[in-house]
Amino acid sequence: MSYLVATVKQIESCENLHIVAFDYRGQTLRMMSLDLADAIAIGTKVKLTIKPSHIALAKNFEGELSCSNQLQTTIVSITNGELLSAIKLDFLGTLLESIVTLSSSQRMDLRVGEEIVALIKASELSIDEVIND
Amino acid sequence: MIQIDINKKLHGANGEMDLCVRLDILQGDFIALAGQSGSGKTTLLRILAGLEDSNGTISVEGEIWQDGKSSLMPQKRKIGFVFQDYALFGNMSVEQNLLYVQKDRALASKLLELTQLSQLKDRMPSTLSGGQKQRVSLCRAMMNRPQLLLMDEPLSALDPTMRTKLQQEILALHKEFGTTTLMVSHDPSEIYRLAQRVVVLNWGKIINDGTPKDILLKTSGSAKFSFEGELLDIVQVDVIYVAIVAIGQQLVEVVVSDDEAKALEIGQSVSVSTKAFTPRLKRV
Repeated sequence: MSYLVATVKQIESCENLHIVAFDYRGQTLRMMSLDLADAIAIGTKVKLTIKPSHIALAKNFEGELSCSNQLQTTIVSITNGELLSAIKLDFLGTLLESIVTLSSSQRMDLRVGEEIVALIKASELSIDEVIND
Repeated sequence: MIQIDINKKLHGANGEMDLCVRLDILQGDFIALAGQSGSGKTTLLRILAGLEDSNGTISVEGEIWQDGKSSLMPQKRKIGFVFQDYALFGNMSVEQNLLYVQKDRALASKLLELTQLSQLKDRMPSTLSGGQKQRVSLCRAMMNRPQLLLMDEPLSALDPTMRTKLQQEILALHKEFGTTTLMVSHDPSEIYRLAQRVVVLNWGKIINDGTPKDILLKTSGSAKFSFEGELLDIVQVDVIYVAIVAIGQQLVEVVVSDDEAKALEIGQSVSVSTKAFTPRLKRV
């Protein structure tokens, strides 16, 4: 799992459906969610989580994508298995992990140190817990 | 090898039913017998124990327990039977309950030690907890070193912690004595932990026979995370629909599309599934 600590900055609602925007070090992340816990309000600090298999990668990409979250990251490490490739990414000081097929990883010719865009759909981002401090 | 080929007409709550079971069991196997109530599981155990008659044959390691001509008396069959309600002799101490089966003090003492009951050997059953009673009942079933251990939902009256503990003891005894075990169970975690093979009975017939994982992992397509439940409601929110499903003691919500929502009916049995990559697992 990949985790990010962010602060709730906006909540849009339609009945029990919500789009929540978070601030993470000046970057905005968006999450689609059904009912939210009572504790979630503007200013609430939360730990966000994303499954590594839900993070797609884009390199030298041009054009429009529907993904709400397009994060500028740097590749920290690449671990290749027989079929899959686990890629660790640095996103402004937080480590994220993406798991893609080995063939995609090789086709994109990914290299450590390279800048890459991590793509996460709003429906695949979730709140792990509220952080009280 | 235990070879079972029996049939019997049963008059159950749901009308007349033919119990018809052909089953070969390897020596030392641990088999879970599953299926809805009234499917014939208990009757099958009772037939194997010789407590009920049936047509057909039963042979255990070459010895005929039953054929068309004769039937071995229950006490001549090398079986142990553990019932859900313990069925201990209330007027005998723990140790006497064991010795009643076989006057073998060494074995009784070994069994009581294996199940941590040594200190309770002089107690009367009425002073024991449910878990302790079932342990005594298990020990008693092992007293004649059974070739076939039959257990009819032995742990279903116990709380989850006690259940897990007894599961370990059952497995330990099964291995220690090299017994072949046939246990009726409805609990998937119990079946997965204990059994090498699951046989599912429905309406008197075997409808499924395989490894616990193959039988219990209810999957279709590439979904590995699948549960059956009842569709309670579908609520439209914005351009999506939220289906509310009761699974076991819990409610879950699943987002569905317009088309999917239209094809579903409230009250239907539905399966909720996703690929193994999606769910999150967290300690509670």
